[in-house]
Amino acid sequence: MLKVAIVGCGKIADSHVSQIQRIKGCEVVGVCDKEPLMAKQLCERFSIKRNFGDLPELISEVHPDVVHITTPPAVHFDIASFCLKQGCHVYVEKPFTLYEDEAHKLIELATDENLKITAGHDDQFTHVARRMRTLVQSGFLGDGPVHMESYYCYELALTGYAGAILGDKQHWVRRLPGKLLHNIISHGIARIAEFLVTDSPQVIVHGFTSPLLRSRGETEIIDELRVIISEEQRTTAYFTFSSQMRPSLHMFRVFGSRNGLVLDHDQETLIKLRGTRLKSYVEKFVPPITMAKQYLGNLRINLGTFLARDFQMKSGMKYLIESFYQSIQDGTPPPIPYREILLTARIMDSIFSQLNQQSESEARSHVPLLASMAK
Amino acid sequence: MIRSKLEHIIGPDDLVLITGATGFIGVSVVENLLRLGFRNLRCFARPSSQMDKIEALRRNHRADARIEVFRGNLLVSEDCVAATKDVSVIFHLAAGRGEKSFPDAYMNSVITTRNLLEACLKTKCLKRFVNVSSFAVYTNTQKAHGRLLDEACPTETHPELRGDAYSFAKVKQEQMVVEYGDKFGVPYVIVRPGHVYGPGNEAISARVGIGTFGVFLHLGGPNTIPLTYVDNCAEAIVLAGLKKGIDRETFNVVDDDLPSSRQFLRLYKQNVTRFKSLYLPHALSFTLCYLWERFSEWSVGQVPPAFNRKRWHSFWKKTRYSNEKLKSRVGWAPQVSTAEGLGRYFESCRNLESHA
Repeated sequence: MLKVAIVGCGKIADSHVSQIQRIKGCEVVGVCDKEPLMAKQLCERFSIKRNFGDLPELISEVHPDVVHITTPPAVHFDIASFCLKQGCHVYVEKPFTLYEDEAHKLIELATDENLKITAGHDDQFTHVARRMRTLVQSGFLGDGPVHMESYYCYELALTGYAGAILGDKQHWVRRLPGKLLHNIISHGIARIAEFLVTDSPQVIVHGFTSPLLRSRGETEIIDELRVIISEEQRTTAYFTFSSQMRPSLHMFRVFGSRNGLVLDHDQETLIKLRGTRLKSYVEKFVPPITMAKQYLGNLRINLGTFLARDFQMKSGMKYLIESFYQSIQDGTPPPIPYREILLTARIMDSIFSQLNQQSESEARSHVPLLASMAK
Repeated sequence: MIRSKLEHIIGPDDLVLITGATGFIGVSVVENLLRLGFRNLRCFARPSSQMDKIEALRRNHRADARIEVFRGNLLVSEDCVAATKDVSVIFHLAAGRGEKSFPDAYMNSVITTRNLLEACLKTKCLKRFVNVSSFAVYTNTQKAHGRLLDEACPTETHPELRGDAYSFAKVKQEQMVVEYGDKFGVPYVIVRPGHVYGPGNEAISARVGIGTFGVFLHLGGPNTIPLTYVDNCAEAIVLAGLKKGIDRETFNVVDDDLPSSRQFLRLYKQNVTRFKSLYLPHALSFTLCYLWERFSEWSVGQVPPAFNRKRWHSFWKKTRYSNEKLKSRVGWAPQVSTAEGLGRYFESCRNLESHA
């Protein structure tokens, strides 16, 4: 029986515990939060035996095999380092760390200690994402991806989570290097990173604050982001994050030399795009029929998965956790290659450093303008 | 007036703290305090709160009252300590409303309340802590008096099974207040309003029905809806904070002449907008809740347990309500009749519709 502990008892911890409790051969033996009441409420709702307000106490009392870190990202590195040094395997929620060098250090530490570590990129393990991976691996695209488009949008309602960030200049999300983007975009970036073959792609970034947020007096939060990623004139990718575009997409399109694929994360549909055209007017009439057939096929699969009781909103998380535990028990490689975790962190570092440079140069360009206006 | 002031536990210059002061009920609580002559108020508001209404009150009462706005976060202990300094009465209205996540609701209702109560222990002059709770805490399954729901009725013992983050947090919040009363002698009063309606909260109560599935499912039918107009509710909260001799008591707040769900819906359609609704008799709504609950269990949470028998008992079981205790012990009577309150509410709904 694998003993599991949770550190950080906020919203995402609920998803972790409910998915872990669906997996055979493991048990959540303790939870921890620096606010002991938060740990207590999680225990109470999920019938977990022990709760702690102190991490060293949790480790020494329940001796977990695996620790899931579900705290705000600023403390991921410190907590993960501590847990690895205590001999625990570690699952770190996204974003893995604040900076790429922290990600490097954690992976090095895990390797040195002969332990395993993974990042919470669970969107890559939903049913539909796994179907897509199987098709790509089977050579459906041709010789790998030529171009990718990853959309990861976020409806920024001015209440709730977003309202709290916008209204509170001290909110912890604002203190992240990439602020709001840092806490959201890693799923969309990781999708691209999975299919890149080189380690240092070129990243070109354009970001700005949407008119809606500017009208609310917001100047720090960037909620519109466009990124071009390219590697050695081989593969290119566009990444789009938007709080304003509708529909608010979570979509991945990948085009190879032979065919393409469109994955819609919200609808859990996967559509094959033929690389060849039909002749003349046939192209106008037959593809709509074949597309309709594909959508019906997706409906059948989704219904089947639903009836098989495996269509939870976080089914990707369950698969990732289960695969991670399996890799621990079997001594096989973890489900997300370390290279992919590092590449995601590297691209995110590059995005945030360019955005910071962009805002600094914008601030500098405003100074002479203000000075001339003062004259 | 003189008699009523003698019955107050504090004088007009004693400092009063109102958390959630910029919220739907909070503004009316501040207005009621000013109307009763209290002139030393501290309004706790989050940095993101809209301050227009409180600022307007400040302008209007510049000469006769000191209204301090305290910007802070109840999750920060230091803010709670600073906000409760020299305070005589606390009206605690701030809570996590509309949260679907249990941890978020818990954090914004229970942790905040604990922080505030901890800060109270450092305040030597506190005379009352008024905890504004909700009807959501009642189980409504084993009532002492048949269909009558009053303050003697039991609260949820397993609120985590209701599938409703708000009621879970509210039950835990009340438990926290009682614990601090028992352990540390914090003088408290608990106020449990029914569904508070009025301009600013235009949503139709879930006790009438729900629009989740595309068509409005009318679930209340002949049930009485425990409405309380925002100003009536605010006055009840204020009086419960001031009246002598009611420490550790709990008061339900509902108005007189309450409409049935059917009457409410008919009036809404006549006065605001017409829409299609489908009435589900109680036996059917109970069965559907039961089936949903079982399916949620069977599918290991594939659908959230949002509809279940506990929720049905709390929301849609035929129930009568009483405000007798509030009237007899606190001396409250609704100043706005239900007919007048509904008129104002429908007007506000119409304005909202026309701007939509």
